[in-house]
Amino acid sequence: MGKDHEFAFYLGCIMPNRYPQIEKATRFVLEKLGYKLLDMEKAACCPAPGVLRSFDKVDWMVAAARNICIAEKLDRDILTVCNGCFGTLQEVNKHLKENEEAREQVNEHLKKLGDYEYKGTIEVKHIGEFLGADIGPTEIQKYLVRKVKGRVTVHYGCHFLKPTRTRQVDSSENPVILDDFAEAIGLVSVDFRQKLTCCGAGGGIKAAYAETSMKILGEKMKNMTAVQPDFILDVCPFCHLQFETGQDWLNKNKGTNYDLPVIHISQITAFCMGMDEQFVGLKYQMMGKDFKFTPVEVESHD
Amino acid sequence: MNETKTIKLENIHEEFPDSERKFRVLADFTPEFFADIERRTNILSCIQCGTCTASCESGRWTALKTRLIIRRLIFGDLTVLEDPDIWLCTTCYNCYERCPRDVRPTDVIIELRNYASKLGNMHPVHRKVVDFLKVTGHAVPINAQIRQQRKELGLDELPPTLYRYKDEPDSEMDKYAKELFNLADANEKVQEKLQDKNKIRGCN
Repeated sequence: MGKDHEFAFYLGCIMPNRYPQIEKATRFVLEKLGYKLLDMEKAACCPAPGVLRSFDKVDWMVAAARNICIAEKLDRDILTVCNGCFGTLQEVNKHLKENEEAREQVNEHLKKLGDYEYKGTIEVKHIGEFLGADIGPTEIQKYLVRKVKGRVTVHYGCHFLKPTRTRQVDSSENPVILDDFAEAIGLVSVDFRQKLTCCGAGGGIKAAYAETSMKILGEKMKNMTAVQPDFILDVCPFCHLQFETGQDWLNKNKGTNYDLPVIHISQITAFCMGMDEQFVGLKYQMMGKDFKFTPVEVESHD
Repeated sequence: MNETKTIKLENIHEEFPDSERKFRVLADFTPEFFADIERRTNILSCIQCGTCTASCESGRWTALKTRLIIRRLIFGDLTVLEDPDIWLCTTCYNCYERCPRDVRPTDVIIELRNYASKLGNMHPVHRKVVDFLKVTGHAVPINAQIRQQRKELGLDELPPTLYRYKDEPDSEMDKYAKELFNLADANEKVQEKLQDKNKIRGCN
């Protein structure tokens, strides 16, 4: 197993500390695909591109570079499952590779944090990009032991795609990468109004301005539920948290009655690759606790 | 004696005194401030077309008008640094993608927030995130329930992040906490303004 089948697994904050089932599922998926995930010991917050970048962009870059350095020492590309972490790490990595002045400034600060020097030797990869493009909807078929029947509303989230000049994952106005992947594992990706709007969590809004955050989410939920999906499919634990706690907030404060399960791409992919449903971990989530996947048999392939 | 001193949440502000601040009041700003922002964005290219405001996810529900923020900035109106509206951006990057002049409005707002923070114009809830970061290395720390859940799922009870190693002699937690995000003291007057946002004009 060579370097190209190994990743430095960047956990972040919300996945390990709120949704460990996503971590479990991601580890399962990568193992089944023949990839090894290396632990990034002593990694810290990415740091969050909303609140922490807003406070101090230089410190934000330094703290992000520290995380990247940990992966550089392992000599492996970073795999992240979160749009926020992707936003920070991918952007800082790219910026530091291209900008010598910033690199020197950051390396000067990094010394104070320990034995770190940013070299610019690795890439940062998002699980949505990895599954949707690197593996892809065709190749993934070889690994599926079952598919799932269902209608889903796909939520891309903002930082997975934008800014496009930095991310270079897919179009920001008409992306297909996740819809194609969802269809490949048996789902029907249903179109809905204003599909690409923000979940309303980013930029520190969720923490400080709940009312505004919930107006943005409320509109999103209205448009999603209008097409009656079985669940929401996302690629970001922060959007995930927003959809989960947000539905609860809207139910309590705005008289709605939402109970849509929220599923991360790792979770549904793991299930299709044979992971036991209990580890998909829906029972730990706030919404759709009783939801069960409808498995569909796939033809065997040699 | 070289004991690891663990930083506690209660005394975090005593640990990091408010010193060496370059900016204390709006009058401390020189024209370099505008040049600094222009270096990383393109505010002077703005033609006030309003594509940013029209694309704004937050502005649809709030008083945030990105075009106006940039106009005020170009005209040298430093009160934008006290305006709660700059904290309503969700950083969705719609304006950034669509701006015909590549002004990079999202980045402009982040720059303004950086300078606002130097003045202590921060929402207390946001500040709290920094406290979490300094104590745990995480913006969202783990709790007892999740530790249990991790065990049930067959994962390590604590993920191998900085927090797991915080009590080890060579822990980097202290350096991390001391060197990063040492923020100015809160500006009480502006804090009040920031917190009133929802009640007064945050949602229209």
